[in-house]
Amino acid sequence: MKVKLKILLLLLASLSLLAFSCQPARETGGIFISGTSAGDAETLNWILAADSASFGYAGHTVDSLVTYDNEWRVQLRTAARDVEVSEDGLVYTVTIRDDLRWSDGSKVTAEDYVYTLQGLMFSDWLNYTYKSDWQEEVGGETVFVTPQVVNETTFTITRQTVYPEFIYMVRTLTPYPKYIAVKYEGDIEAFTQAPEFNNLTYTGNLGPYKFVEWLRNDKFVVERNPEYYLGKDIGAPYFDQYIVKLFGTSATAHAALEAGDISYAGIDPDKVSKFKKMDWINVYTVPTSGYLFLAYNLRDNGWEGLKIREVRQALSLVISKELIIEQVFYGFGEPAFSFIPKVSPWYVDEGVDKYGVEPLLDEEEAEELLLNAGYATKTTDGSIEVENKEGKPLTLTLVTNAGNEQREDVGYLVKEQLSAIGIEVELKFVPWATLLRKYLMNKTPGTDEEPRYNNGIGAVSEEPWDLMVMGFTTLPLSPSGQDVFYLTKGGLNFLGFSSPQVDELFGRIKSEEALDEGARKELYADLSRLISEEQPVDFLAFQLANVGFQKNVRGIEPGINMGYNYHLWYFE
Amino acid sequence: MRKTWLRDYIIKRLFYAVIIAWGVLTITFILVRVGPTSPADKYLANLAARGEDPAQVTEAIEARYGLDKPIHEQYFAYVGNLARGDWGWSFSTSMPVIELIKKHWIYSFQLILLSTFLAALVGILIGIYSAVRQYSKTDYIATFFSFIGISIPNFWLGVMLILLFAVQFGLFKTYYDTSVPLFSLGNLKQLILPVVTLGTGMMAGYTRYTRSAMLDNLRKDFVRTARAKGLPETTVIGKHVFRNAVLPLVTIIMFDLGSIVFGGAYLTEIIFGIPGLGRISFNAIFADDYAVVVAITLLSAFLVLFINLATDIAYAYLDPRIRYD
Repeated sequence: MKVKLKILLLLLASLSLLAFSCQPARETGGIFISGTSAGDAETLNWILAADSASFGYAGHTVDSLVTYDNEWRVQLRTAARDVEVSEDGLVYTVTIRDDLRWSDGSKVTAEDYVYTLQGLMFSDWLNYTYKSDWQEEVGGETVFVTPQVVNETTFTITRQTVYPEFIYMVRTLTPYPKYIAVKYEGDIEAFTQAPEFNNLTYTGNLGPYKFVEWLRNDKFVVERNPEYYLGKDIGAPYFDQYIVKLFGTSATAHAALEAGDISYAGIDPDKVSKFKKMDWINVYTVPTSGYLFLAYNLRDNGWEGLKIREVRQALSLVISKELIIEQVFYGFGEPAFSFIPKVSPWYVDEGVDKYGVEPLLDEEEAEELLLNAGYATKTTDGSIEVENKEGKPLTLTLVTNAGNEQREDVGYLVKEQLSAIGIEVELKFVPWATLLRKYLMNKTPGTDEEPRYNNGIGAVSEEPWDLMVMGFTTLPLSPSGQDVFYLTKGGLNFLGFSSPQVDELFGRIKSEEALDEGARKELYADLSRLISEEQPVDFLAFQLANVGFQKNVRGIEPGINMGYNYHLWYFE
Repeated sequence: MRKTWLRDYIIKRLFYAVIIAWGVLTITFILVRVGPTSPADKYLANLAARGEDPAQVTEAIEARYGLDKPIHEQYFAYVGNLARGDWGWSFSTSMPVIELIKKHWIYSFQLILLSTFLAALVGILIGIYSAVRQYSKTDYIATFFSFIGISIPNFWLGVMLILLFAVQFGLFKTYYDTSVPLFSLGNLKQLILPVVTLGTGMMAGYTRYTRSAMLDNLRKDFVRTARAKGLPETTVIGKHVFRNAVLPLVTIIMFDLGSIVFGGAYLTEIIFGIPGLGRISFNAIFADDYAVVVAITLLSAFLVLFINLATDIAYAYLDPRIRYD
């Protein structure tokens, strides 16, 4: 039996090799132009960045330890093997490749990674934006994790408390060259303006491309790195240059894609059918982890009925997610029932209350719930009229940020649907800064505390509101980060939501208990069920993204992490 | 004699310019820094995805750029640096502010200069012709198209031109390509659509102003006298009427040129992907990048003051009756 299996494996391996060798040769050449209207990066000195575009630009020239394919399988990059976690979940051992080089030819070592953590990210002088990712609470104190060099290619990071999702953070690590960084140590101004970091001159063979030019608000240009550690044996990457071209509007990016002036661009939902008709463009629809939700104000300056779970459920019962997806996203979306997207390994469907889709899309049921809660009366003909406690018509205020057409359209649809059960909705579209300061930030009345996104459950925002359309993104591998919205003390719990059970479940997801992935999935399932039952927000929809490529671009694997193999893309 | 009063006038105006510029600097600085927004506002979605506490991140970002210090300390530090020729560091683009402006002004300049020049040339000629042939078919046609030109929004016209001439006919690239050398025919070619977009409204305006100013002067006694003297019509129109009509136009044209710094061509830059100062200043405002906002406002103030002065001097030369003493 074993012999047969060996022969079979050998045959399979030979067939794979044959198939690989029969693939058309990928020739190097051409300029790939990626059009975007999302905005420019802020810095190439990525350790100072807070925006995703900056990490994206620098990422062309420096790889992280690992990345993921569309099924979340680990793809090794600068790591020689996946990060190993000790059985107690406290020690993370990282082994890097031994062929990584800085631009001066010196080796990239474990020392560089440890210095990046200890000397830069954890330092007082640099004010690293995402410091808290590397901190833990020990005995009421906030302390940093402990990185340590083991040998030239191995280092460890030791925690004092267990946090199973910490591994996803470790895997994103990218190094700074210690031999350059020490020159600027302690001097934030010099470090910020360091030419080596602002021109990415140190990146050696660490990324598929080398920096050429960055003209602000126009383009970011990198060229093929023939020394790329993952590509030198196979000739990858295959583009001579990779350019990120910035457009002021999506309309002009669309025009450039249609005219063939650029290789790739995102496509707005309403333009997808037009692009699908163009035989020189390939359009792919891919999942995203961005979602829209309707938040209910559970604080004291919101309608008092929203504090009652059944009332929130009633509202969610009349807001059709399918309708929103159809009319706002042109069909490119999936109903959301929790903050965990379908593409997440932690997504659970079973037992989750699916408000807003059949059978939990029911006006009569909603009216019954409101009647039982005391917010409706039964008329002589048996019909139910929704009203407030004073017997007057109920009017709620819905707020969202002006200029975001999708959110404004959702607002109109919510208004229309709630009016079907007799609830009037007043719409307020305000600038983003106003939304943050006057509606999200809150403080305890009568105190002079600094307004924050959550100053405790007793705090209220400057302006009253009842409903708010917002959109955020979940990290599919570590959705527990969304606890900032739902923990009683969550830093972004502007809703004023408080549930000891939810607090406990988030706590357990971040504990030893969740080291076992099966157990973690079950905890996420419980959390999804609880959140969908509690309805502190009405999760509306996860969006699907549409992207268009010129047909001669090959090697693309459409999916949520489509760019994971972009160094293997080529022109036919 | 003329030289003396003009020199004194220029010195006086330059002195005022410094005072006004200081006022502009102070007001802009206070407005930008005292406003309720923070450079960290725009990261909220990113922070939420990562499960970060926004308050902590805001503190880190503000501390890194010294924005947590008292406003007067920030102000004196900024003015002190400015006095030493240091315009500051743009944290939203990661480069020295002066380098940022040096690198990008040319893109706005070439666009506005060409648009203004062509719009003035064509607009004035049509305006003169319309005035001379008042109520003729040509005048009606010119008036009709002028109103269309004034009414068409730049962003709509730009997108339509791209769709028609770049996408449909493939005559131009859909966006402005900065890799084409500035002083080349290729660059001139790729500026055609942006210049038409920006220049259409300007041209329509110049046509209307010229027509109106010409008509005002055509009815004046000195024109009748010139004609009575038997001067050729071209001399009457060119030398007597136009020279008098051109004065208000000079002011308008100069101020159009002055909009180079403060985003006069912002929409055109957005549509055609031109990385000019309009886009830079707009983005800096939204990024709370005060060093860029203050520098661009200050330069804009200087430019407006300079153009005002240049216009006054031009007036003095165009109309010898004008004196400022």
